[in-house]
Amino acid sequence: MEKNSNIKFLVLIGLLVISCVLSLLYGGSESVDLGAITSRNFIFWQIRFPKTITAIIAGCTLATAGLILQVIFRNPLAGPYVLGISSGASLMVAISILTGNALHLMSDFFIGKTFIVLSAVSGSFLITLLILGISKKVNSNVVLLLIGLMLSQICGAIQTALEYFSDANSLKSFVTWGMGSLANTTNFDLLIYLPIALIFLVAIIFFVKPLNALLLGENYSQNVGINFKSSRFYLILISSVLTGLTTAFCGPIAFIGTAVPILSRMVFKNSKQHLHLVSCLLLGSIILLFSDAFANSAIKNISLPINMITTLIGAPLVIYLMFKNKSW
Amino acid sequence: MEKKRHIVLKNAVLGYKKSNTHIPVLKGINLEVYAGDFIGIVGLNGVGKSTLLKSLCGLLPALDGELLIDEVKINDLLLKDLAKKIAIVLTEKIGGFNLTAYDAVAAGQMPYTNSFNHLTNKNLEIIETAIKTCGIVAHQHKLLNELSDGLFQKTIIAKALAQQTPIMLLDEPSAFLDYASKHDLFLLLKKLSLDEHKCILVSSHDLDILLKYCSKLLIVSNNSIELINANEAKTNKAFLEIGGGFI
Repeated sequence: MEKNSNIKFLVLIGLLVISCVLSLLYGGSESVDLGAITSRNFIFWQIRFPKTITAIIAGCTLATAGLILQVIFRNPLAGPYVLGISSGASLMVAISILTGNALHLMSDFFIGKTFIVLSAVSGSFLITLLILGISKKVNSNVVLLLIGLMLSQICGAIQTALEYFSDANSLKSFVTWGMGSLANTTNFDLLIYLPIALIFLVAIIFFVKPLNALLLGENYSQNVGINFKSSRFYLILISSVLTGLTTAFCGPIAFIGTAVPILSRMVFKNSKQHLHLVSCLLLGSIILLFSDAFANSAIKNISLPINMITTLIGAPLVIYLMFKNKSW
Repeated sequence: MEKKRHIVLKNAVLGYKKSNTHIPVLKGINLEVYAGDFIGIVGLNGVGKSTLLKSLCGLLPALDGELLIDEVKINDLLLKDLAKKIAIVLTEKIGGFNLTAYDAVAAGQMPYTNSFNHLTNKNLEIIETAIKTCGIVAHQHKLLNELSDGLFQKTIIAKALAQQTPIMLLDEPSAFLDYASKHDLFLLLKKLSLDEHKCILVSSHDLDILLKYCSKLLIVSNNSIELINANEAKTNKAFLEIGGGFI
């Protein structure tokens, strides 16, 4: 079984390399010739490169956030997008852009970005806590998803209302950003995005044992010596930061958080969460990179929204799992 | 040789807390449990058997009074150390996420593994022994949610065994089992209490089976408890009142 997993990981690493190359070369309206890549190629270094790195970080953060949420809620369909957590982050970003512009905070790059990241993280944290409170009242996995869907609609409605009160400048940033895109991140942004993402991804390593125990539920995990409540709190904090961070830079990206852990469990028929953490990092990056390359090269001169592709991958998986009841 | 005293309850009030108001279920509870005790907990539905078991393992903090595990107050024990003293088998179902019977049993060794849950050869040996003892070798790689009720119950008991604790608490483990499996289960528990001097508390509604296998009976009624020897049960008023008279 171990040997089998190793082969699967090798295949995934191979796919990651291929998808990186595809995204770098074909992830835009113009394909870049391999021969044309010099140190001064503007399109390659200032547009493609940050976009590919962004796709990798976004894939890693959303997939692991989804994995954590699925374990915490013991719900194989949970994820930051379907539970309304991404929408909560979006709403807080909308509010912060509005107030930030009014307070002239946004003129300074680092202050502006920090402000947006912090609001996105607090938005996702608040919604996660709300969902956690609700999950104690409802027993059904499906009802919880429906409530998440409603929360996300409510956040969306408030956001739409806010758009009416915003000036043209803010409105433009709302709308383009709210559609979800990997292309808005510059090399400068990556200086903030990458290190924070890395710190919190690495932090998960310390929670591998609780992650495995939490699958047994509150009573049994306490009984085998895991502090359920505190591990759950830290894991929620980590997943909120990961979701909020990526939502701050890319907008809400659909279904990656839900679909990737599901795929990971299908590929590795295994319950070891440390294995799924690694495979979620790989699979999340691969799927977002392929989606990006596909979105930009499927139709000539037209760049399709990334959320369209990820939804087409993710939503059918969720429906499939709902039918295949036994794995709940 | 003097038997080791594992559990002491002194003037305890056991029950739930709901938004800062106490809801006591059992009051003025005094109890001493020793190594090798095989105690059947009996009582009508909703009388507080599960409350008692959950309080004994620390999942429900006592509202008042004292609970000592191996002569140490339960609150002074680290969660990890408590996990090496008490193993529980509850009525709740677990499964999904590709969890197999083996994974569930392996979880019993979690208190002994490092922070990455790496299983050493010694850990693996203990898990294997627990699986063998409970007779689920042929089913260990099946998914938890595809096991029959009987096999699931045996798996969780194997988990409790793998935890290598002197104390085992079981909440209605025989509830969904067929008659033969019930006897198998209690034979296994009796063997553990005799051979390994484990102190076992098991709640059940199968009074005849408890009478046959347990050394003592703990009768829960009227917000209180009474501990009697199993051979005195048939003359005990409380036991006869909760249905013992039908045996």
